[in-house]
Amino acid sequence: MTTRTNSLQEARLPLEFQESHETLSILGFWLFLASDVVLFSSLFAVYAVYQGRVAAGPTPLQLFSLGPVLTETILLLTSSFTCGLAIFMMRRGRTRPLVAWLVVTLLLGLGFVGMEVHEFVTDVAVWGTWHQSAFLSAFFTLVGTHGLHVSFGILWVAALVVQLLRYGLTPTTARKVYTFSLYWHFLDIIWVFIFTAVYLSGKIT
Amino acid sequence: MTQVQRPPAISAPTGRGDEVEIAILAPRFEEHAFPWRQIFGYAASLILTMAALLLVVHHVLPPVGLIVAILALATIQASLQLGLFMHLRESLGSTWHVVTLALAIVVALGIVIFSIWIMSFKSGVS
Repeated sequence: MTTRTNSLQEARLPLEFQESHETLSILGFWLFLASDVVLFSSLFAVYAVYQGRVAAGPTPLQLFSLGPVLTETILLLTSSFTCGLAIFMMRRGRTRPLVAWLVVTLLLGLGFVGMEVHEFVTDVAVWGTWHQSAFLSAFFTLVGTHGLHVSFGILWVAALVVQLLRYGLTPTTARKVYTFSLYWHFLDIIWVFIFTAVYLSGKIT
Repeated sequence: MTQVQRPPAISAPTGRGDEVEIAILAPRFEEHAFPWRQIFGYAASLILTMAALLLVVHHVLPPVGLIVAILALATIQASLQLGLFMHLRESLGSTWHVVTLALAIVVALGIVIFSIWIMSFKSGVS
């Protein structure tokens, strides 16, 4: 009787929550994200303290152009949305649409990283490297750390697409896709604060 | 559009990690036939982003007011994405990750606020 209740309950849970060790991995990933919140907060603190220390280098007002930054923001936000649609499809057990939305997410992420690399290369060519001032050091460290996270996410989702095509949807692959989605949405939330506290506040005089 | 609450009863755990020790930490799974939550989260995030941008570009408020306003908009957007995109309340048993995340946010706010505070003394302290 008890066993039967268990299996009924399990049948109604999403795939990635059906095996307790996979569920533990999800909890563990949340703990990692919590530590990443603290990591980024220290970089935000450094940026907030040093954004006025421009030495002979550019000021935030001179350095930032909001047009490309808005495009980056929309690219990353849209990729977060398509990643949400991927999970929606996963919950309905539809592997093909899941893979398709993950590929769209990957491409949008590539677009974001490409624009950011272009922005950084242009900044360095025009204004010099992060050795120029405390402001540039803090800026490149904060935004660069986020960009590295996104780049790692792109490699991760590429590997997940391969695994989904080879093994299909299992509790393990479902858990991997789910933790990837947590990571990707988390990076968009960090970007919201970079867009606000770095780029927008740099335009407030 | 249905909202399903699982596990069904707080008092009847299966003993496989799905116990709920504190009622407010009870997990909740959202299942809908159409991705309304994702679409609403996306639209709201776009609107909040554009609102913050327009506030700054048109210098609607004095500088301090502007910074407070755009940080408030960012916080609203972050909360929306946590709830609508990240399925914050999904878990097997108590949602302990919410407690951990809350603690991390308190630590993060402390690091940022007190760093700014202590560095605002500049040469006044020696």
